[in-house]
Amino acid sequence: MSSLSISTELPLKKETTEQVNKTVVYDTKNLNLWYGNNHALKNINLPMYKNEVTAIIGPSGCGKSTYIKTLNRMVELVQNVRISGEILYREKNIFDKEFRVEELRTRVGMVFQKPNPFPKTIFDNIAYGPRIHGIKDKKILKEIVEKSLRGAAIWEEVKDRLHENAYGLSGGQQQRLCIARCLAVEPDVILMDEPTSALDPKSTLKVEELIQELKENYSIIIVTHNMQQAARISDKTAFFLNGEVIEYDDTDIIFSTPSDKRTEDYITGRFG
Amino acid sequence: MNVRGHFVNDLAELKGEVLELGGMVEQAFTETIEAIRKKEYSKFDDIIIQDSKVNSLELEINEKATLMIAKQQPVASDLRKLIVSLKVSSDLERMGDLSVDMAKAAQRLTEKENLIQFEEELLLMASKAHVMIKAVLIAFRDTNTLEAQKIAGMDDEVDHAYAKFVQSLFEVVAVETGVTEQVMQMAFIARYIERIADYCTNIAEWIIYEVNGQRFDLN
Repeated sequence: MSSLSISTELPLKKETTEQVNKTVVYDTKNLNLWYGNNHALKNINLPMYKNEVTAIIGPSGCGKSTYIKTLNRMVELVQNVRISGEILYREKNIFDKEFRVEELRTRVGMVFQKPNPFPKTIFDNIAYGPRIHGIKDKKILKEIVEKSLRGAAIWEEVKDRLHENAYGLSGGQQQRLCIARCLAVEPDVILMDEPTSALDPKSTLKVEELIQELKENYSIIIVTHNMQQAARISDKTAFFLNGEVIEYDDTDIIFSTPSDKRTEDYITGRFG
Repeated sequence: MNVRGHFVNDLAELKGEVLELGGMVEQAFTETIEAIRKKEYSKFDDIIIQDSKVNSLELEINEKATLMIAKQQPVASDLRKLIVSLKVSSDLERMGDLSVDMAKAAQRLTEKENLIQFEEELLLMASKAHVMIKAVLIAFRDTNTLEAQKIAGMDDEVDHAYAKFVQSLFEVVAVETGVTEQVMQMAFIARYIERIADYCTNIAEWIIYEVNGQRFDLN
């Protein structure tokens, strides 16, 4: 017979998955960003790991798109932007003077909310990047186009119409074409800013499946408004609110037992 | 009312139904024990028939919770509340079944003369279990994890009383003849009471899970 002693302490939350053996692709340290006087990102500290999908969630205006655009320094195209702190990409600070932004953008591809193919043929959309990087050989270009389209799970749908204008594709196909265009320059990281918000459910599902496949070879950071999507496809989730990271943890934990009440309130739809 | 407001209302309603189910199960238990105490054997049939109401309310709770999961895709504490409603109502339904089993065993006892000297012990055990049922329903209503943790201690008492009771039945079988049937039925009833107490402990564990998302073994 066991004793009647009862612990008044409830068990502690289980430890976050140890990341000791994983390669850090991006490491953001004390990042602050201002648009003029607007303090848009406040002391962000976030790691991003290789071969993982990291989702960034949060209400509109919380800084998630600003953050993702800072990762490839696109945010600097906005006037009056001021940045402090550092973002280490593969252990090098991307804001260092000797760090070439062109090199960064080759290594870090980006997919946007609305599919934005060039007004060119399907083939030329994909071959565009490799051509810029000096690849002229038609055979090699053909190989790259096929490999990229296959990688983006759209090859079977377009292989017989490679020389038609990309604008003739459906929205979902255009988005996968943009992902293929991104893959053509063999990036290391793919940034996705609400990649499925303009797509129908079926196309969304295809892109989500694709993201799952792509993480075998790439590291993916995705901004999404769709919480179920973040829950379905990501390994890690960061919750942003008013320019701060409120909580960052395994996606399983964020969507089951978040530590911060604000995270809980957001994911359960109490605000945002 | 906004969508979130509706959902919060639905959650509260669902919890109300689970508590209603708890009330029905508690009543079935006390009526069974009272009928045994007062030897009102005619009541057992009623108790057995009434159980179908418990079953249909449990089904209703299941359907409601399933629909809420399908339509609202809840996460975190919202999801846990729904899962806990399903789990608790299923445990309550089993407790209802056990009261029916007790009533059936008691019916079989009526044909023989009771082993009066043991009835008191059995009823004492039942009253301990009844305290547990009430306590766990209140802890569930208030989502009170500290009260839920106390249920474990109560269960130990019931387990202890059960072990003692069965031991004394063994001793009777060893010296008296012709009492096997009665002893068996009494042992069954005691066993059912002990199982009901275990289900209370289960429910207490679900209350803790609802609050912090962790399973906490109270048994």
